Amino acid sequence: MKVGRRKFLRTGSAALVGLSLKSDRPITGSFVNDAFQMGHLLRDRASFPPPKRVEKFPVVIVGGGIAGLSAAWRLRKRGFTDFVLLEMNPQAGGNARWGENEITAYPWAAHYVPVPGPKAELVRELFEDLGVLKNGQWEERDLCFAPQERLFLYGRWQDGLEPAIGLTQKDRDQFRHLEDLFSKFRASGEFTIPLELGRSAKYQGLDRFSFSDWLQQQGCDSRLVNWYMNYACRDDYGALAKDTSAWAGVHYFSSREAEEKGPLTWPEGNGWITRRLLERVGENVRTDQMVHRIAETKRGVSVFSGDTEFQSEFVIFAAPTFLAPYLVDAFPRLHDFIYSPWVTANLTLERLPDSRGAEPTWDTVFLDSPTLGYVDATHQSLRTHIDRTVWTFYWALAEGAPAQNRQLLLDKDWNYWKEAILHDLERVHSDIRQCVSRIDVMRMGHAMIRPAVGSVFSEERRRLTRRDPRDGRLLFANSDLSSISIFEEAQYHGVVAAQAALKRIGSRP
Amino acid sequence: MGILLFISVLLVAACGLIYELVAGTLASYLVGDSVFQFSTIIGTYLFAMGIGSALSRYLNRGLVYRFVWIELLLGVIGGFSSALLIMAFAFTQGFELILYALVIVMGVLVGLEIPLLMRIVRDRYEFRDVIAHVLTFDYLGALGASLLFPILLVPHLGLVRSAMLFGLVNAGVALWTTYLFSTQLSGTRVLRIACVVVLCGLGIGMADARRITATAEDNIYADDIIFARDTRYQHLVLTRFKDDLRLFLNSHLQFSSRDEYRYHEALIHPGLAAVPVPHRVLVLGGGDGLAVREILKYPQIESITLVDLDPEMTKLFSTHPMLTKLNDKSFLSPRVHIINADAFPWVDSNTESFDFIVIDFPDPTNYSLGKLYTTAFYRAVARHLSAQGLMVVQSTSPMFARDSFWCIAQTLKQAGLQTYPYHVYVPSFGEWGFVLAGTHEYIPPTSLPSGLRFINVEGLPALFQFPPDMAPLPMPPNQLNSQVLVRTYENDWKDISH
Repeated sequence: MKVGRRKFLRTGSAALVGLSLKSDRPITGSFVNDAFQMGHLLRDRASFPPPKRVEKFPVVIVGGGIAGLSAAWRLRKRGFTDFVLLEMNPQAGGNARWGENEITAYPWAAHYVPVPGPKAELVRELFEDLGVLKNGQWEERDLCFAPQERLFLYGRWQDGLEPAIGLTQKDRDQFRHLEDLFSKFRASGEFTIPLELGRSAKYQGLDRFSFSDWLQQQGCDSRLVNWYMNYACRDDYGALAKDTSAWAGVHYFSSREAEEKGPLTWPEGNGWITRRLLERVGENVRTDQMVHRIAETKRGVSVFSGDTEFQSEFVIFAAPTFLAPYLVDAFPRLHDFIYSPWVTANLTLERLPDSRGAEPTWDTVFLDSPTLGYVDATHQSLRTHIDRTVWTFYWALAEGAPAQNRQLLLDKDWNYWKEAILHDLERVHSDIRQCVSRIDVMRMGHAMIRPAVGSVFSEERRRLTRRDPRDGRLLFANSDLSSISIFEEAQYHGVVAAQAALKRIGSRP
Repeated sequence: MGILLFISVLLVAACGLIYELVAGTLASYLVGDSVFQFSTIIGTYLFAMGIGSALSRYLNRGLVYRFVWIELLLGVIGGFSSALLIMAFAFTQGFELILYALVIVMGVLVGLEIPLLMRIVRDRYEFRDVIAHVLTFDYLGALGASLLFPILLVPHLGLVRSAMLFGLVNAGVALWTTYLFSTQLSGTRVLRIACVVVLCGLGIGMADARRITATAEDNIYADDIIFARDTRYQHLVLTRFKDDLRLFLNSHLQFSSRDEYRYHEALIHPGLAAVPVPHRVLVLGGGDGLAVREILKYPQIESITLVDLDPEMTKLFSTHPMLTKLNDKSFLSPRVHIINADAFPWVDSNTESFDFIVIDFPDPTNYSLGKLYTTAFYRAVARHLSAQGLMVVQSTSPMFARDSFWCIAQTLKQAGLQTYPYHVYVPSFGEWGFVLAGTHEYIPPTSLPSGLRFINVEGLPALFQFPPDMAPLPMPPNQLNSQVLVRTYENDWKDISH
């Protein structure tokens, strides 16, 4: 075999690189949990085969995220078991899905629930059922361990995410001014979780302009204040403050008591809740069931999935609401449902990287990064010795139009995201490439509902949420009905939709 | 000239023996099994000397010139051998390989010396006188070295500097030779410069020996480091000064063999002797086997389960002769079961119950260790207590870390236990504290095992008295989500050090 000089040099230098101590690890990984192929079949009105089988259930739940699973939980808790839940993906959980490797379980999206306040009765009921809340006490092991959050800025770490070091007097004044305003809003009782229980028309005006406009009206021009407000909107809404309704921006800061206990969290994030819910309702759940048509008939509703027609009396539509026009016969177009695209990634670390002397925390954020930082899956481990871990990296593609960013998700290969993520981490953890062995990337085109200007008080939304018998036999349940995508809203709508179904079944002649 | 020449034979012989002794001693300190180490090292060394002697016949011209270089080479290699071996042990996996390679190289060089010397002087004396004088001084040098090494060198200079001192002697002989035989040498300038360079190098080494052995750790470990290893879990260093062995884990002193009996008797006996009929004991941490040694003093105990994270630590304290002497071979008792596991998950998944539980972890210096001092952990441990059972917790110093001590006590209380804090004086630690805890009232024991050196029945009540400067303080309990103890502990010790 003749080896060319060039090739010889190349292999030779590669061998030398391989020998040097500081060489980067080979990093494997892929895209995981892709779902857009199925979604695009619906979008493009592909034709599906006619049904071969018929099954009958009084209630069919479409969608197995937290809303659908919560609906199922409520039905079974009320002793009603004659229903089926259809989930498109191989794994139920939606934004509360999880993964697992030989090191730890880890989240794929939502990873915590704030300690619920007194208004969130249904969430408290769930946590009592799961043993997280016992005799009014939160289980210590389910609360986020210390230290919780850190922000990297000016080449060092600070505790907590709100910038607290290097502030000018102006920065400080503006942070304080906003905190005063938010506590007044909090005291008004209008900004609650679930959102439906507090909201009235009183602050409807805030829904007519953007959060960044509102900040400007308040005289907030501090760079750090605006960074933090934008970080909050990107984190909870996947949007910049300029694309977020001021009402929703205020809600983020005014809906929760400043609690000391820290959020409830688990290694697999809200996947832990999904697991517990599946233990309770799993026998009603069918995965890999892509519903492709829903048709209301005179006697009920037919749900078509694969080669089966599920004939039901009521359908709890817990999938993202934007799918309704593609699935439901003669469903009108929707205007107020805009979704933010996201990328999440799970990084397997063979050793802990240089962190400039700091002990690991649960949540790490870098000032001025376009990403949202990462969460450490082994943080909730009870082990004292942790040498390998998994980081869940979050990136809401907030900059630019959602449609453009969805195209980006389709166009760019895995290597692009791998490099982008490592590049972001490298600024703080200089040896990250020597630590990471695997990066799995999940692309979500419609990851979460965006509370755009005008969408919180949208008429369209109000109509879909009222669950009035005049509106037919479809009961909508996704968290996007609240215009914000958080666990508590999903659970609330799921449970309320289930209760509405039970009531109407109970009152049938 | 005659006597000067034979004195260099004596010095050269002494150097040769010292390097051999250094290698043998280090190997038995670091690896253990001194009979094996000394036998194989002496054997290898002598064999290599034989090779050196055999090779000497191939050196024909410029004998003095070559002799000077051999002395210099030996000065460098032998002088730094001890430092090199300690570093090889601490930083590489191939200690044995390096050890024997070094022994062979030194042996070959030493083996070359005497034949060359004999040939250098053979023209000046009768053959029978050469043999007689050279060998006489050779054996005299060996005797001197073998007496100096244990009596003066190791106690006063330590292994690293002893080797360097004799490296200096080798280089000195080299320099001296250039003067003794200046007539038979050309290029003496270069040789002398080389000698001075080597002498300076070794001199700096002597002055800086500390830094060479332990780089940055040196101000902590004032004594000779006889063992250092990075295990998967911690950095383990064993030091010795005369009869005082000290163990450091991640730079924190764990015990001093001079007074550890005070600590371990106080840890075990006030609690264990108060349990009516103890059969089963659990020790969490305590990988040095010293707590187990105390527990084994109760013949009625049937089983002792020890859970320690680090298998290398428990293995070391099961095999190293110096350490098994210290813990009375407690890990070799058939009553002892060693489990290498992370304590919290082990406690969570195990279902056995125990009559006495010893919690002896390193101080809560970071959030990882802090998890082992939380209400969640103590609740999980308390589930393993039998009806008559008690547990005891190593709780840092109520004097230097008063807030931390009372925080640990409060955490145990919050976990639903009755607590009985006490303290003792351990010279190498200072005032040290423990908390006894259980689900029922603690009644101090009326009898103790025989042979205790520190704890006695009459003295017990005083241990539970806290003078005003260590008196209880109101502290919040330590929980997983707050970890107040880690910050408290940090502040406590910060106050002391400023």
